[in-house]
Amino acid sequence: MEPAIYTIIVFNLALGITGGFIMHRSDFCVAGMFRDFFLFRHSAMLRALLLLILTSMILFELGRRLGIIRLYPFPLLGSPSLVNLAGGTIFGIGMVLAGGCVVGTLYRMGSGSVTSAAAFVGLLIGSGVYAEIHPWWKGFATQFLFQKDNITLAQAIAADPGLVLLPCILGGAFLTGLWTKQEKWDQSSMVSGYMQPWKAALLLALLGFLSYLVTGMPLGISTAYAKMAAFMERLVLPDHVAGLAFFQELPLNYIIPFTGTPLTGGAGPNLDGIAFIQFPLVIGIILGAFVSAVLVREFSIYVRIPARQYISALAGGILLALGSRMTPGCNIWHLFGGLPILAMQSLLFLAGLVPGAWIGTILLSRLILTVPREAAE
Amino acid sequence: MKESQNTNNIVYDIRGQICPSCLLFTLREVNTKRHALKNEGVTIIIKTDNRNATTTIPEAVANMGYLATVEKREEGYYQIEIMAPPQ
Repeated sequence: MEPAIYTIIVFNLALGITGGFIMHRSDFCVAGMFRDFFLFRHSAMLRALLLLILTSMILFELGRRLGIIRLYPFPLLGSPSLVNLAGGTIFGIGMVLAGGCVVGTLYRMGSGSVTSAAAFVGLLIGSGVYAEIHPWWKGFATQFLFQKDNITLAQAIAADPGLVLLPCILGGAFLTGLWTKQEKWDQSSMVSGYMQPWKAALLLALLGFLSYLVTGMPLGISTAYAKMAAFMERLVLPDHVAGLAFFQELPLNYIIPFTGTPLTGGAGPNLDGIAFIQFPLVIGIILGAFVSAVLVREFSIYVRIPARQYISALAGGILLALGSRMTPGCNIWHLFGGLPILAMQSLLFLAGLVPGAWIGTILLSRLILTVPREAAE
Repeated sequence: MKESQNTNNIVYDIRGQICPSCLLFTLREVNTKRHALKNEGVTIIIKTDNRNATTTIPEAVANMGYLATVEKREEGYYQIEIMAPPQ
C-alpha cells in the first residue's frame, strides 16, 4: 500500500473516534431529530441539524472558492433519479424503527446498546438482500434518471454554485440569528459530560470539511456495511458472491486530491478504496463512543428488553440498508455532504426521508407503545 | 419491566430500551397511575440509561403537573423520580 493510503486510514480513524465521542456526548441522533419532531413537536435537535448543514455549506463553498477543495461535486454523487426519493423514504422508516441511523447505530453500539447491535445485524442482512435485487433496481434507477450529467442544482441551471447557495446561506443565517436572539440554542441537561447540540453541529461540520479536504469526499459509511456483508457471505457462499453484479462494480474511481494517488472501490469483498476510507470511520465511531461512555461511567450492556424492540431494531436495520443502497447513500452522506452543495440526489433523498420518518414514527408508536395524547403535548 | 413496588414507590427498570420508548413508557405509566400519584403519595421511579430521557421525561411530566428529580447512580444509569407536588 502507498503511504497516502496509510494516511487516509489513520486520518479517518481519528475522524471517526472524534465523531463518535461528539455524537455520544451530545446524543446527536438524526433519526431522533425527525422522530421527536413528529412525535412530540421537539425541534431543538432539528435546529442543530440545520446549523450543521449551513456551516458545511459555507465551509465547502469557501473551500471551493479558495481552491483547496478540488473535487466539486465530490465522487460517488450522480445524476438525480426518482429512486433517490424512494430510497430516502425507505431509509426514513428504517432509521426510526432502528432507533438510529447508520451512524447513530454505531455510536449507540459503542456505548453498549444491544438494540443498536440488532440494528447493525439488520444493516448487514439488508445489504446482502440488496445485492440480490441490485440489477433489477439499477434498471429502475436508469429508467427514472433525469438531468443526465448534472449533479448539483447549480449545474442544472448552469449557474455559479455560489449564486445558488447564497439565498440558502442568507436564509440560514437569518434563522440562526433569530434563534440566537430567542436563546434557543442551549439545551438543559443533567447528564455527565453533556455537549450542547449546537457545539456538536459545528464540530461535525468541521469534521466533514476536513474529510472533504483530505479524502476528497465528505463523511459516508453505508457502503462499508455492504462490504462487511459481502465478506461474511463469501465465507458461506463464495461462488454466489462472486457472481453477484453488485459486488463486482467499482463505483469509486478517483484520484486523491493532495497526493495524486488513484483509488478505486466498491461493495465487493476486497480491501479497496471503500475499505480504506469507510472501515476506519466505522471502527472509529464505535471506539469514540465507547471511550466517551467509559469516561462518564455509562458503558453498560443491558439485554432485558422486550422482544418486539429487538425485532423493530432488526427490521429497521434491514430497511436502513435497503434504503441506503437503493438511494444510493445514507443520511450522513446526503445531509452532511450532498445537501450543503445542493446535490439533486441529496435534495430528493431529503424529500423522501421526511415522509419516511413520519411513517416510521407512526409504526414505532403503534408497535411499541401508545402515547397518551394529553401527556405528549 | 416493573421491578418492585412498596407502598409509596413503583420502580421501573427500562434500561437498554430503544428510543423513544423510555419517554413513551413513562408517559403511559404516569397517566395510568395518576390517581395514586396525586392522592396516595406514590412516587414512580424510572431507571434509565438513555441520556436524552433525563431531559425529555422531566420536561414532559412537568407539563402534566408533576415534579421530577434526576440522579445519576454509581452503577452508571440515571434514576428519575416522579411525584405530585405538595398540596
